[in-house]
Amino acid sequence: MPEIFINGQPVQATAEETVLQAALRNGFFIPYFCWHKSLSIAGNCRICVVQQEGKDWVEIACNMPASEGLKVLTDSELVRAHRKATLQFITLNHPVDCGICDKAGECTLQDYHFEYNGERSISRDSKVRSTKFVPLGKRIVLDNERCILCSRCVRFTREISKSNALGIKERGDVSVVRAAEDASFDADPYSDNVIDICPVGALLSRSFLHKTRVWYLEPTPSVCPGCARGCTVEIWHRKPEWRLKALDPRQNTSIARVTPLENPAVNGPWICNKGRDLAQIFERPRALQPMRKGKPVELADAVEAAQALIADAKHPVALVSSWGSNEELAAFRKAIGGRFAAFVKPDHVAVPGEPIEDDLLIRADKNPNTAAAHALFGADAIRFDAGTDLVLVWGEGFEFGRLPRGAKVIFANSYLLPENGHADVFFPISIQTERAGHYTNFEGTVSAFEPCFAKAPAVIDAEALFATLAVEDKVHA
Amino acid sequence: MPGRQLIMTFPVTATSHTLADYRARGGYQTLGKALAMAPQDVTKEVSAAGLLGHGGAAFPVGRKWAVVKLDDGQPHYLCANADEGEPGTFKDRWILEHSPHLLIESMLITAHALQVRHAFVYIRGEFDLPYRRLAGAIEEAYDAGLLGKGILGRPFDCDINVIRGAGSYVCGEASGLLASVEGKRGYPRNRPPRLTVKGLYQRPTVVNNVETLSNVAGIIANGAEAFKKVGTPKCPGTQLVSISGHINRPGVYEVEYGYPLTKFLFEDCGGVTGGKKLKCIVPGGISTKVLTAAECEPLTYDKQSLEGAGSSIGSGGMIVIAEGTCMVRLLQVMLRFYHHESCGQCTPCREGMGWMHRIIDRIVAGEGRPEDIERLIEISKLNDGTTICGMGDAAGYATVGILAKYRDEFEYFIEHKRSRLDGNLEVPSVVPAEAGTQ
Repeated sequence: MPEIFINGQPVQATAEETVLQAALRNGFFIPYFCWHKSLSIAGNCRICVVQQEGKDWVEIACNMPASEGLKVLTDSELVRAHRKATLQFITLNHPVDCGICDKAGECTLQDYHFEYNGERSISRDSKVRSTKFVPLGKRIVLDNERCILCSRCVRFTREISKSNALGIKERGDVSVVRAAEDASFDADPYSDNVIDICPVGALLSRSFLHKTRVWYLEPTPSVCPGCARGCTVEIWHRKPEWRLKALDPRQNTSIARVTPLENPAVNGPWICNKGRDLAQIFERPRALQPMRKGKPVELADAVEAAQALIADAKHPVALVSSWGSNEELAAFRKAIGGRFAAFVKPDHVAVPGEPIEDDLLIRADKNPNTAAAHALFGADAIRFDAGTDLVLVWGEGFEFGRLPRGAKVIFANSYLLPENGHADVFFPISIQTERAGHYTNFEGTVSAFEPCFAKAPAVIDAEALFATLAVEDKVHA
Repeated sequence: MPGRQLIMTFPVTATSHTLADYRARGGYQTLGKALAMAPQDVTKEVSAAGLLGHGGAAFPVGRKWAVVKLDDGQPHYLCANADEGEPGTFKDRWILEHSPHLLIESMLITAHALQVRHAFVYIRGEFDLPYRRLAGAIEEAYDAGLLGKGILGRPFDCDINVIRGAGSYVCGEASGLLASVEGKRGYPRNRPPRLTVKGLYQRPTVVNNVETLSNVAGIIANGAEAFKKVGTPKCPGTQLVSISGHINRPGVYEVEYGYPLTKFLFEDCGGVTGGKKLKCIVPGGISTKVLTAAECEPLTYDKQSLEGAGSSIGSGGMIVIAEGTCMVRLLQVMLRFYHHESCGQCTPCREGMGWMHRIIDRIVAGEGRPEDIERLIEISKLNDGTTICGMGDAAGYATVGILAKYRDEFEYFIEHKRSRLDGNLEVPSVVPAEAGTQ
């Protein structure tokens, strides 16, 4: 364990560490653009420079082995002068796009400029121009003038997603990042991670482009329900104080974007593109009204009808949602689970063209809580024994044509589906973004999600619903 | 002849590059002698001779080789750097065109010393005749059992592959070269790790200049002591010098270290063309600092003398500049080169080269500003030691060197929006060139 000195203070480093890693781990901040803890060392931005005590030159810290007795200064005059110069070089040809750039407010270059430079450019020559708004496929747009050629995106596609879809063409100050011409970047299910790791506004999400300023948004921690990996994410939506009456009300209550919530136990700093598109799942048209055989009714009426059906059933079967949270599953088990022969149902399966499983994050099971559901209700295949007279279907994804003839149906679902009207009793239930809860992923790791939106008045939490449906077992004559 | 010769020891004919001619002048006898030595003894001999690199950095060759650990159970690689990208330098091509077997034999001896099974020559793509001669020589060597398996009937196998470049100066930088050999973009690498620890395919690799390697056969043939008798005590041996510019007899000369510089220029090379006086020289490729005629007076051609005057041997590409040449235009050509060749990886060089080029273009176009000179110096300083490879530093040295000695020309150009001189870089040759050492 080598001991090094940073700004005079002793620091215990590990044998494989660089000075940059040792410094960050011990609370010394050294700025960096091209370094990323999950990628290989590039050492090209030159802003992480430090000075060895007694020497009159600077060296990059990201590639400096932490060797025993090394003494470095991270904030000397020489270091500050070089940082300032590096920022002058980077902003030499960087367009002053802040006013129209989505990255403003979360841009590393902006932050470092104010922290370490703060002066106008000393060049009064025109800036080098390059291509702007280059579509890198359907999801991402690239602005080469803003790009500082840190190569994080290129290294990501080589080392993490392994699509090798990005590279740099030409050389010198006319170098440009480009996507491979065989559309492999579009096919890369992890492509959108380059938006997070790009330190400037060069790589941007096309779906988020120019929608809103990031400082109007706040993130809520959640869990992606797209597969059994259960990556933790942040769902961004308008801050309460920025929910302006002048805006379209949908803007105040919708998902602006989804980003990874770093999680060493599950997904590291990445998520796949399906997680970015959670709005496509959560913002489908919602069921807002309890119904009996398609006729809208009051909730109390529907509850009474359902309780009667449950009490009278001799062979009731329940199809349990694998999107139910740990809390909802436990509530179901406790309240009425004993009455039913319960089978866990996969609410979602892979759609044609969707990646099934890979070595990185994506799992074949496209449901977030199968593990907890199986633990409570077993993993048997769904079957309806002869004499099944009531089926409680919880969650979507079950083909109603497979229901046994003559059985009554109670259906609890969130989305507007034709089947809602075919059920004897239908309850509109809340979705993940409207309540707190936990999912258990395929490895048994439990992750929490929090609510970001209010649910509609007639929508009920499944947990509460199950409690109200609990009835004493009536003795049948 | 500017001193004793070690490499250019034979007259160039239509066949002097062939295997037969090379054998006739004693070629491939040293290889047998070397293979009978232990590998570490070959390295010791080269170290004792004090051989320095001829690619521009003048790094002690033995010291580079000694880092490679013998018998460490992993492949070692040797790469001859025939990229010769430094402007003004065309001396390696002499060896490739007229004595490629000298390079091959030397590479085999080196491969034995470093336990190298696969060796490479990285040759710049623009070389045509040198490449054909080299490729032809390698074929002759394979046919004669001098390459491949069981060389000279000994248990020594070695293959040499020639890899052609595609027009990048920075692929002449050792780590950029290896990146190119690996099929990647020619991006130099940060050190650590050193290439002799983790080089080609992350294995110990020695990259040496063609001329450097070509000295190895002679050192093993005649011994370190004999080598040290040539040149000076601190700078043994010779340097192939390619001299061009405003000189009456341009060409490639072998200069013994310690030979008086002005004697070389005015006697061996026939002096400045057009009947003009000497203004300055670029001693060894444009990355070395210019030396004025007055500064050249007392110098001898060796590392210590040139470094004492604030310049260096560099790559041996000497450019002669006559009185009346506009130094502003000259710097413009140099900065245009550096800007074009920057690989673009690291911030100071990528942005700085373009910046410097745009500034000098403005000055030459008559739109210079007073602060431009200080700006050029500042950018040069900020590229010194802060970049991944030495190209940023090199551009800085070229700029600072010219500005230090000819600042008045730049100030004049900025103020009067034109050159104080006629602005041309060419000088008509009045004295007909005699047959040089071609």
